[in-house]
Formats: sequence, structure tokens, C-alpha cells
Amino acid sequence: MPNPDLDPTEVAPPPSMGHPHELARGHSWIPAILGRAKSKMLRPYVFGLILLAAVLFPYVDGNEGDIDAAANALAFAMLALGLNIVVGFAGLLDLGYAAFFAIGAYTYGALSSYQIQPEWSSFWTPFQWLGLVEHLQSGAGAGVVHLDVSFWLALPIAALVAAFSGVLFGAPTLRLKGDYLAIVTLGFGEIVPIVARNTPYITNGAQGLNGVTTPNLFGYNFGVLSTPYYYLGLALIVVLIFVSTRLKYSRVGRAWLAIREDEIAAEAMGVDRTRLKLLAFALGASFAGVTGTFYVAKLQTATPEMFMFPVSIMVLVMIVLGGIGSVAGVVVGALILQLLQSWFLQDLTQWIHALGNLTGIAFLQTVDLVQSIELIFGIILVVMMLYRRQGIIPERASVTALTYEQQHAMPSPQSVESDLVPLHRRAIDPHKPLLVIKGLAKSFGGIKAVDRVDLEVAPRSIVAIIGPNGSGKTTFFNLITGLIEPDGGKVLLAGEDVTGLKPHRIVSKGIARTFQNLRLFSNMTLMENALVGAHVRTSTGALGAIFRFQRVKREEEAARARALEILRIFGNRLVPRLEHLAYSLSYANRRRLEIARALVSEPVLLLLDEPTAGMNPTETLELTNQIRRLCDRGVTVLMIEHKLDVVNKIADKVIVLDHGEKIAEGTPKEIHSNKEVLRAYLGRTTGVVAAAAIAS
Amino acid sequence: MTQWDILLQQVINGVSLGAMYSLLALGFTMVYGIIELINFAHFNVFMVGSFIAMWALVAMGFAGQSHVLHGLPLIGVLAVAFLATMLGTGILGVVIERFALRPLRNVSGTAPMITTIGLSYILYNVILLGAGADSKNYSNPMPNTHWDFLGGVTLRLREVLLWVVSLVLMVALHYFVRHTKMGKAMQAMAQDQEAARMVGIDVDRVVMLTFFLGSALAGAAGLIFGLYYNYTSYLIGYKAGLRAFTAAVLGGIGNIPGAMIGGVVIGLIESLGGQYIAVRWTDVIIFSLLVLVLVLRPTGLLGRAAPSKS
Repeated sequence: MPNPDLDPTEVAPPPSMGHPHELARGHSWIPAILGRAKSKMLRPYVFGLILLAAVLFPYVDGNEGDIDAAANALAFAMLALGLNIVVGFAGLLDLGYAAFFAIGAYTYGALSSYQIQPEWSSFWTPFQWLGLVEHLQSGAGAGVVHLDVSFWLALPIAALVAAFSGVLFGAPTLRLKGDYLAIVTLGFGEIVPIVARNTPYITNGAQGLNGVTTPNLFGYNFGVLSTPYYYLGLALIVVLIFVSTRLKYSRVGRAWLAIREDEIAAEAMGVDRTRLKLLAFALGASFAGVTGTFYVAKLQTATPEMFMFPVSIMVLVMIVLGGIGSVAGVVVGALILQLLQSWFLQDLTQWIHALGNLTGIAFLQTVDLVQSIELIFGIILVVMMLYRRQGIIPERASVTALTYEQQHAMPSPQSVESDLVPLHRRAIDPHKPLLVIKGLAKSFGGIKAVDRVDLEVAPRSIVAIIGPNGSGKTTFFNLITGLIEPDGGKVLLAGEDVTGLKPHRIVSKGIARTFQNLRLFSNMTLMENALVGAHVRTSTGALGAIFRFQRVKREEEAARARALEILRIFGNRLVPRLEHLAYSLSYANRRRLEIARALVSEPVLLLLDEPTAGMNPTETLELTNQIRRLCDRGVTVLMIEHKLDVVNKIADKVIVLDHGEKIAEGTPKEIHSNKEVLRAYLGRTTGVVAAAAIAS
Repeated sequence: MTQWDILLQQVINGVSLGAMYSLLALGFTMVYGIIELINFAHFNVFMVGSFIAMWALVAMGFAGQSHVLHGLPLIGVLAVAFLATMLGTGILGVVIERFALRPLRNVSGTAPMITTIGLSYILYNVILLGAGADSKNYSNPMPNTHWDFLGGVTLRLREVLLWVVSLVLMVALHYFVRHTKMGKAMQAMAQDQEAARMVGIDVDRVVMLTFFLGSALAGAAGLIFGLYYNYTSYLIGYKAGLRAFTAAVLGGIGNIPGAMIGGVVIGLIESLGGQYIAVRWTDVIIFSLLVLVLVLRPTGLLGRAAPSKS
């Protein structure tokens, strides 16, 4: 049995990052738990079979109308995948998504039709060499330019243009609450078709673009029939599904989910929310740009009416029906709705009319389901939201409860301590204070919530803040972690000024926190919650996530290994439930998970806001010991705590806040006999009462 | 007409439109103030209101502009029409809240907003399928009385009526919110729902009442739309609703006087922009303004009445 008070510096273990394999050694139960996720491995076969059926479909069916409908359905499935990144992954409601579809469509339309024909001049010669323009001469004069950008080049161009407009329109609203984004995107979705109609020079106005060039591939022209476009759409959608899936199960995807679940907690865990929201917006828009290019190449025309509000709503209905956030779901939702409209509704209407004729019911003879499609959309939205918010194919499969063996086949906390790793990799000068706070102040209106508080926290110590409710303790934490901007004062971490930095920057400097009223990402698994903590210590971006380079794989494995390591601090409390969603945890386990999530970000300073609230005495004692051990392993702890027995047991220093002012500071013993403190806690007491309190 | 006469005429038109947008914006702002929800169903509650009013007038024997009234009979008929419409849309609002939104009250994220979009679509298509796609010639008992001023500026009776009705409704609302027990409960809810519940306010009742009042005002706006333009159609909700929402944001969402002022500002932009720039750019101007306000002054002109709860 190893010594529970083992000093980690004596063990000097290798840093856990980059050595994931050492972890699993000797713990056969870990693969057993991770193996639950392996059942998903069936999916490639299913996907392959569906793809095979899709490839064979034109041969089997052979009806031009059906193939055309299927190609259009693929276009809408592509749109649904793009909107799903914005609405499903990042949780931002975009009601003007068709605008990006329009931008992509007109980008290709304008670049490869006869719409824009400037005078020929030598300026265009290099473009002619590159094959981007043609020189048209008719009779006298210099002739005109015919823009003739290849479809394959236009695809990335349109994607970039759409992504750029996504950023342009997303940026102003991202600081605001999500509701505003919905309304601004709605307005944007309204503006774009109006601009298209009112700028006939580029778009030919309401008549629409004509004569858009059809794609060419190695001399094969796609022409005007649907089958080649069907295959092109199939190829594109496979790519977009791949991109969506890779993004979703990556550092980027987890950060999006975290923002969707709780923006403030995401930021306090180191996620740069502005940047990630813009990324979601840009990527979502780029999908629409690609789809627009494809759609216009297929139709060889574009009119403003193709991109109006109902299109945005239709795509939204598709992802709501399929399952918000679920890649497979939104594709299925889009295909169902599109094929329902083009294949089944007309037939169904005729059957109902026949039924009406048979039964003599007038209503059945005249009802037109194709006309009622938008009514059906409305009903789908309401019914799905009320009764099945997760859609046809939910984003997450449900996880079964643990068996008795799984719950108990765990190492005890003590045996886990054997492979201790450092909790952060930073050298801290043990002789200088780690955290120095000078004159920190914040007022809300006339109320001084925090009034010029000074504080020094020595490295590897535990400092407790106590004080009556409303004395400004949590505000004090919010000021240190950047959630609230201070009115004055300084916060120095290891000599570095971190005052007023954004929360995610402060996390990267080494301060992490938990929240008094628990801000976990409820619909993410334990593992994912912990991994969001690793966000600031990892660097994979969108491209890395899509291509999954070796570096990215290593980083991901190392982050998982580290997260597992941290979760094991709590013994068998959290580890058996790695794949469970956070909301299913007990209250005490949620508190533990929040601490674990904060620890994964490798903090030198950990801020705990009432860590033992809601725990029973046994759990409180267990956590108290665990906090003490964290401190021994190199993490400095600043904690708000109401339970004075906890404070007495582990705090090296206690400060007392009352009405935003620091009224006392000292060891727990000194604080106990401090008259100011007693007055703050017990009200205006006479000397007798105070003496009695001290005596007790 | 001189430049100034044209300007004056457009201001008259703008204030009239603005009064209608204000009534509509109040519904958005009240609901948002209390449960922080953008209620897209409100767009088409307004549209349904204009139809209910038309049917009420038809039921009273009016068809098209065949039959105009003056004096007391006119006031009586209009009063009945307003009451019937406001009761009708008020009940519609309550039904929407009770059956579609209350189950989602504590669901976070985009679900409640998506539901209101679905509801809006349902209302829109029910009217489209039930009443047809053509514009309806409104049953309008209003005479074409108007007063011409020097320089050709015209003030019509229907504009005066519109101003009076809007003003009366807004003053009544203001009185209700400020001086009655239920109104104070609404203010308390806007500040802090939990605290309101704890001091014994029946939260469900207050939310229901808010929907009733907001929807009733939208119904009144719907009737005014019909009387003013002499037509209605299933299409009118979307554009007017968006503008009214912009008005609510402009005034500071959640802020009742803000919505009134915002409505008038949007009305003036619409009429003056149409006169001096081009009608086809009106929407672009209005939405650009919306984006600008959100960027530069997200709390709107008058600021939020209640602190944000996020």
C-alpha cells in the first residue's frame, strides 16, 4: 500500500502527456469501459451499404424525374449538414441560412456565365492564359470579356466567399445573446435576395442568370441531364459528411458543444467563444457556398426566388426532423423531406382523392398535400420540439446503467496514487507569492460588491475565503477569472499581470475554477466534459480535425490519457461512467467532475467555489482529503467554503469578506477569535455573546 | 407640393405606420421581457387578427367598402370589431402559450424559439389553405373623410383614428403595468422569475396574461392594417412582424415605452426612406439599422427595463 501522503517530487514520474500507453498497463477494466464505444464500429459497413445502394440507384430506377429529385435532395442534404454545424454543433440559431446558399450560387453564376462582360483590355490577358476568361470579339472594337472560371475552381472560391460573408454577418452579433443572432440572420436572409434582385448588373435581377457553364471533367461535359449531377452530389455529400463527422469528434467539435451547453462555463474552461462561433458560422456558410455552386451548375440558372426565407426554414425543419447535431440524422431528415415532396406527396394526394371519391367526402376530394407542405413543416417543427427534440436519429445513443461488477471492479483511490503525475508542468518559485491581488474593486450601481481587497496566496497553500452570504465572495472569483471586468486593482499570477484578460486567456495562464451552482456541460459525456478542460493545452484547429494528422492523433490520445488520469483522482466515482452524460450524475459526482474538468486544464491555481456544498459528511471528508492531496501535488488552492470544519482542517490561511471588504486574515485559529468576524456572522453582538462564542 | 409639404406628408404616413408597428412591437417586448423568448408566432397572430376582424365586420354586414358609416354608429361598429378581434387573438395567444410553449418553459437553447417558428408557419398555412392566396378586399366601414391643407398635404380620418386607437391602447397598457397588481407582478417577473415565484406570484398566470395582452394588441394592429390599407392577405405577417421586431430591439427589448418609440422610428424610416431613397431598398435600410443598433448599442435607445438574466 503506497503512502497516501506521498510527495510527488520524490517519485518524479514522466509527464503524462505523450505517454498514453503507460496508463492502460495493468488496468484491464479501462479497455472494458472504453469498449462500450466500440459497438459504433458497425457503422462503416452500414454506411458502405447505403452508399452502394445510392450508387446503383440510377441504374435501378432509370426515371429522369426521380434521379433529378434525388439530386436535388442531395443538395438539400448538403445544406442541412452545413446548417447543422451552426445550429446543431454550436447551438446558434441561424434563420437566414439560404443567404449563404445564394452567395455561393451567385458567385459561381457570375464567374461562369455571360452576365458580366467588361470591355476587353490587356488587364485580362494573364487571366486568359490561366483559362479563367475568354476573349469574345464581335465585329469592331476591343471585344468583351467572358468570365469562364472552371466549376472545380469555383467550388472552393464560392466556399471561401460564403465563409467570409458568414464571418462578416456573424461578427456583430456574437457578443450578444443567441436570440439576437436569430433575428439578425433572419434580416440578413431577407436582404440578400433583395440585393440580388436590385443589382441586375451582376445577377440579371428577377429574371435570373442565364447560360451558366456546365462543369467539365477531363473532357467529359456534365450537360443538362440529371444523372451526372446526381453522382457529383453524391461525391460532394460524402465529403461533407466526412468533414462534419471529423469536426464533431474533435477538439473543435467539443468546444462547440460546450458553447452550446453553457457559454460562460465554456469560456471559463478556456474556450475562446467568439473565435469558435465565427468558425462555426464560416464553416456552415462554406457548406452552403459549395451547395450553391453545385445547384446552379445543375440548373444553369439562379433567380432570387430560389433563396428566400422558406428555404432557410425548410433546411431548419430537415435538421429538426433528423436530429439536431446528428450528422446521419440531418442527412436522413433532408432526404425524407425532399423525397416526400417530390415523390410521395403527389401520389398520396391522388390516393386521397380516390378515397374521397369512394367515400363521397368532399374534403378528401379536394385536399392538395403538395400545397400543404409548409403546413406539414410547421407541424413537424412543433411536434418534434414538444415530443422528440432529439429527432429521428438522436445525436447520442443512450448509455445503459452500470452493472454491480462494473461499479465495484475499480481500484481504490489509494492504489491509483501509485502512478502520480504532476498536475501542471510549470516551475513555480516557492519563495514568492503565487497570486497577488492589490486593491481589487467592483461596484454594481451604488453597491460595492468587492471593495479594494488585497490578498497574497503562497504557492502550494490552501487559502479559504469565508463570509456571510452576499459578502462578495463569488464576485471576487469572477473578477479573478475575468468573467467580470474589475473597476480597479490588479491581479498578478506569478508576477504576471492578468487583470482584465478574457476568461479563456486567464485559463491558459494557469487559473481554473469551479462554480457555486455547477456549470457542467449536461449533454456531454464525462470524458468530453473533462476534455473541454484540455482545450487550452491543445491546439488542433478545423483543418487538423478534418485531416487528422499524426500530430493531431497524438495530441488527442494524450489529452484523453490525461483526462482519465485526472478522473481517477476520484477513484471509482467517475471513471466507470466515462460515457455517461453529465446530467445523469449525482450531485456530489457533478462537483467532482467540475473539479476534474478544471484540473485537466493544468492550473497552477485552482479556484473552488463551495466545493463541498450539497455533500454529506462522509463525502465532504473524502473531498477535503482529496483537495489536501491536490495541494501536496503542486496545485495552489483558493476556495470559498461555508463549512468551517472543512476550513479548519485544510486551510493554511483564511480571509473573511463582509460587504465586499476584507475584515480579517489569518490562520483558522486566529480567525476564530476575531471579534470583527463574529460581528459579521452573528450581527451586533455584545461582548458577552462574543465571549460565549469564543468559549464554545 | 413643396419639399416641405412632401416631408410633412411622409411624416404623417410614417407616424401612422409607426403606430401600427408599435402595437405589434409591444407583444414582442412584453413576452421577451418576461420569459426571454423571441416569439415568431406573433408575426402571424397579427395576420390572423386582421382576418378575424374582417370576418367580424362581414358578420356585421359589411363587405368591401360598399357600406360606410359616420359618427356614433361608426364608433360603435369599430369598438365591437376591436373587442372581438382582440379577444380572438388574445385567446389564440393564450392557447399557443398553454399548449406549445409552457411545456418548453424550462428547456434551454433554441427549442422554444424553433417551436414559435413552427407555430407561425402553421398559422400562416392554415389561413393560406383556408382563405386562399388572393388578397382580400377589406370590409371597411370607414368613410374616406380627409382634410386637405395648403400645399396638398392630406390628413385622412383613418390616420387620425389609427393614432387615437394606438394611443389609447398604449396608455391603457402603461397604466395596467404600472398601477395594477397583475401589472406589478409582470414587472417583478421580468426582474427575477424565481424571486417572483417565491413571493407568491402565480408565474403561469402572469405569463398567460402577458401572451393575452401582447396578442390582443397584435390583433388590434391587424385590424388597423386592414382599415388603413383596405386589404389583407396571408402574407402580411412576415414583413410587418420583422419590422415590428426591429422596432422592439431599437427601443430596447423588454422595454415597453421603448417599443412604442421604436415603432414610430421604424415607421418614419419606412416612409421617408421610400420617399428619398427607394422603396426597393427599404428593407435593406431597416435591417442594416438593426445590425448597427445591435453592434453599437445592444440595449437599444432606451435600454433594457430589466437586467439580463444570463
